[in-house]
Amino acid sequence: MQGKHGFGGEYARLKKPPSFFNVIFNLMWLCYATMSFYHHTLKPILNRVGSMPVAILLLVLLAVASVIGTVLKQNQDQVDYLHQFGPTWYWTFRSLGLFDMYHTWWFMTILGLLMFSLAACLLRNTPRFLQEMKQRKGTMNENARKHIEHKFDLSFDDKEKAISSIKTSLPDWKWMETKVGNVLWLRGDKGRFHKWGYITVHTAMLVILIGGWLSVQFGFRGNMAVPEGGKESEISFLKGTSTDYLKMPFEVRCDDFEINFFSTGAPSEFRSTLTILEDGKEMMTSDIIVNEPLYYKGVRIYQASFGDGGSEITLKLHRLNKTGNVDVGHARIYTVFKDPYSDVTLELKDFRPYNIENMAAAGEPKDFKDMGPSVDFVIRGKGLKPVLVRSFMEPFIANDQNQGSYLMISKTGDARDFETFLLGLDFSEPKEWELFQAFIRKIPAKAAASQEEAQQANLNAFRAALDEVYPDGRPDDLPMLGNRIIQSLKVLPDMPWPFVPVLEDYDQTYYTGLQLAKDPGMDVVWIGSGLLVGGLCIMFYVAHRKVWVKVLEEENGQVTLEVTGISNRNPIAFEQEFDDLEKQIKTAYEQGVKV
Amino acid sequence: MTAITADKVSFTSSMYTGRIAHIRNWAYLGLLAGLAAMAMFAGDGYVEDNFVFQMFSLEGVKWMAGGTVVGMGYAFTTSASKFRAFRFSEILVPWFDGAVLMVALMGLYTLFEPSEAMITYEDQSNLFSGNVVMTMNVAMLFSALCYIAYLFAPDSFIGKLGTATAWIGVYAGGSALLLRWYESYLLMGGDIGHAPVSNLYEVFILLFCVICVIYLTLESRHNARGLGAFVMPIVAAGIFFAIWLESIGQSDIKPLVPALQSYWMKIHVPLNFVGYGSFAVACAAGMAWLFRNRLEESGSQSRLLAVFPSLKQLDNLAYKAVAIGFPAFTLATILGAAWAAEAWGGYWSWDPKETWALIVWLVYGAYLHARFSHGLQGKTLAWWAVLGFLVTIFCFVGVNMYLSGLHSYGQLT
Ligand code: HEM
Repeated sequence: MQGKHGFGGEYARLKKPPSFFNVIFNLMWLCYATMSFYHHTLKPILNRVGSMPVAILLLVLLAVASVIGTVLKQNQDQVDYLHQFGPTWYWTFRSLGLFDMYHTWWFMTILGLLMFSLAACLLRNTPRFLQEMKQRKGTMNENARKHIEHKFDLSFDDKEKAISSIKTSLPDWKWMETKVGNVLWLRGDKGRFHKWGYITVHTAMLVILIGGWLSVQFGFRGNMAVPEGGKESEISFLKGTSTDYLKMPFEVRCDDFEINFFSTGAPSEFRSTLTILEDGKEMMTSDIIVNEPLYYKGVRIYQASFGDGGSEITLKLHRLNKTGNVDVGHARIYTVFKDPYSDVTLELKDFRPYNIENMAAAGEPKDFKDMGPSVDFVIRGKGLKPVLVRSFMEPFIANDQNQGSYLMISKTGDARDFETFLLGLDFSEPKEWELFQAFIRKIPAKAAASQEEAQQANLNAFRAALDEVYPDGRPDDLPMLGNRIIQSLKVLPDMPWPFVPVLEDYDQTYYTGLQLAKDPGMDVVWIGSGLLVGGLCIMFYVAHRKVWVKVLEEENGQVTLEVTGISNRNPIAFEQEFDDLEKQIKTAYEQGVKV
Repeated sequence: MTAITADKVSFTSSMYTGRIAHIRNWAYLGLLAGLAAMAMFAGDGYVEDNFVFQMFSLEGVKWMAGGTVVGMGYAFTTSASKFRAFRFSEILVPWFDGAVLMVALMGLYTLFEPSEAMITYEDQSNLFSGNVVMTMNVAMLFSALCYIAYLFAPDSFIGKLGTATAWIGVYAGGSALLLRWYESYLLMGGDIGHAPVSNLYEVFILLFCVICVIYLTLESRHNARGLGAFVMPIVAAGIFFAIWLESIGQSDIKPLVPALQSYWMKIHVPLNFVGYGSFAVACAAGMAWLFRNRLEESGSQSRLLAVFPSLKQLDNLAYKAVAIGFPAFTLATILGAAWAAEAWGGYWSWDPKETWALIVWLVYGAYLHARFSHGLQGKTLAWWAVLGFLVTIFCFVGVNMYLSGLHSYGQLT
């Protein structure tokens, strides 16, 4: 009793040992205070919080909040939100946390209150229900019987046989006999544990919520991208509007990543071969696919996405100047390639080994075609408007005709705004660029006198160029080649860039997008779920049915059975069962007589 | 109970009552357990792509037969004891028989399947299941008309005709789905085969069948034919929607995205539709309640009143439907969470579909509270059942159409 706080402190200051009487008195006061606090403060609060209206209010709030959360897309890019709602609404929504609503304090509070409410409701009702299950009143009040729907009377000669025929008519029922004066009462029960349904269901929900809380509090979930051959040990995850990082106690190495396809071109399987390393030691190696994660020391590793892991790209730069030189450049995706001869840079964004497109017009049966590998980059330079470009390795073939190489260009930098830009020449065929250069060189510099003369001069120049570049005879698709040259004459001189960049070769590497999660609440949730389903089944499919039989003995030895039945569930079925019971008792009695 | 009192029982009823039903039921359950065991323990285990074929191979037959024998053995050891065991069997056995009949029908249809040269992935219009689905559509639409006519001509056979055509619709629909499953293996050399519960069109067919089965079961147990005039129009409306889906090319068999390639899909999706289907029936009962109530309040002497179940019965039927649907829906949601835990790494990610499932669940949970804890009955609850179904429809169709998320497989493309 020498603490600084509480009752002990008081006595210490008085420097007088407390009398026996004082101690008793204070203990009594403490008891009283606690009880009074319980009765006057805690219990009313519990009752209020555990009451149905509060519960329903919470459930409605939860439902409404959930609706908001689904209508307002969660965890998008903040810029998109700003764009969509304008500054006023953006900041209003943001301050309410509506963009990451399920993790806001107020949403958590609703869930917390719901837990509290469930617990209070259980605390309040469980003792009562247990009591009700235990206490079985053996008799039934005459008055009560009047108001009950299911009842009938039967008369028999033999009391013992009558009683046993009741019991055989309702096998599996629990019977209890009570004697009041001279009158014997039977009471039968079936499905007495129905109230356990209520207890189980509500406990289960509490357990599930607790499990969820454990998951949020002690678990984590985040993403990591591991290039083929690379290692990674950090995951990133969204926290509110920013990104956070967490270090894992192990490293994940991606040995291989593979995609398989259906013949429609849709992916059928993503497969990563992963090795887990701890302090540089290989602990395990395993393949994962979507739906089949890897489990290591409480952390699950899932296949979530994939992307380019820094493929090595070879580009051919066709100079748009007098020389017409072709330079070869090498770079990796996610790096910036600097042109050594100008101030132009290419910021390499993405590489794809295939581009499956539906070539059919709208409404026609689908016609899937692979357009071949492509590389995406942003071109920047002094006086250039930066644009997003997708360059393909192969020319565009339509109706078996070579339409020449092409680029997709997006002025906004958004892949949805790509526009096709036909270059004319087939750059995968080096001779065509040579032909183009030769042709330009041979076009006479001075202006021709008339239109016809000019055409003739051009034709001559073209023929001379062909002779120079194809000395062993003309190429097969000469007419198309002509078209291509004409198209390139139209577009190439107007290009703002000093060169035409064309994808030449690649050495592809993927990264595998993994999701790592640790969820210590998961098992608790499963236990709760099991309880929930079990409890619901009890609640819905077990009806507590009760039957009272009053056995009235008359003077002539006859007995009259007054049978009354109640069911707390499923009245239609019980009505039938009860009607059948009357016949059954009679039959059982008669069969008993015959034997 | 009738089994005990009846002296003579016909052959058919004896198949469905008492000991025989019990043995048959456990034989079926054993068969299913055999299949599950094959998926778990057989040589190759469960293979997503060809479990169907595995089932009908010699290996599959062995596992199924083994399971059947074990199930029957179990039935013999328990049948001596209780009449309760029989009741459980009597409820289940007709469903199993129905499933067997569907499989048999499907086998029959395969005879009509066009030769392989005539079907391609790009043009699926001459697959035979399309015809069977059309049969289902016609049967169910006709049934809806019959049930409505029945209200006005209660003494004629037209009510029975409604019931019969609804059953025909169920068997056509169910076996068409099975046939579609088989057909998915005929396309593209079999590498896209999957269970027919992967897009909106397919699950709609499933939904019609589930609604009809639940309703028809309630009808036969509770003598509630008048309710059909409210249930079948809901189905009819759905059929028009499905026909529209078909017309915009949503009915094609497509390859499954990797996330859906899981046995969970075959459990999670159908179970969800048991939920949706029973909520639809509850909604119909609610509408019927409101309709009858209106008639009664206006003091109508309409003959309709004689055909219709009473208000109290309708109230009870709505509850019965919810009582089937709520646990099924709960279980389906939980299994969905289990699947999500396996495929996406978290059992709950507040994805729109999940969240709306939670909302639906809360709505019906509140319905049950209102009914049992507040003792609410009648009008409010009838409205509740109707509005609850609107929420359900949004969860089922609306989310796919308007909100995107992880469940985007159901999206209209
Ligand atoms: C989290 C959402 C909840 C759900 C889904 C839920 C579900 C249910 C269900 C399905 C019933 C069955 C009704 C019946 O068949 O008797 C029920 C009954 C009941 N619930 Fe809840 N419950 C929830 C929360 C609560 C809360 C927070 C309370 C506390 C106030 C509560 C109190 C009760 C009571 C008193 C009963 C009646 C038991 C009886 O009469 O047998 N419930 N609940």
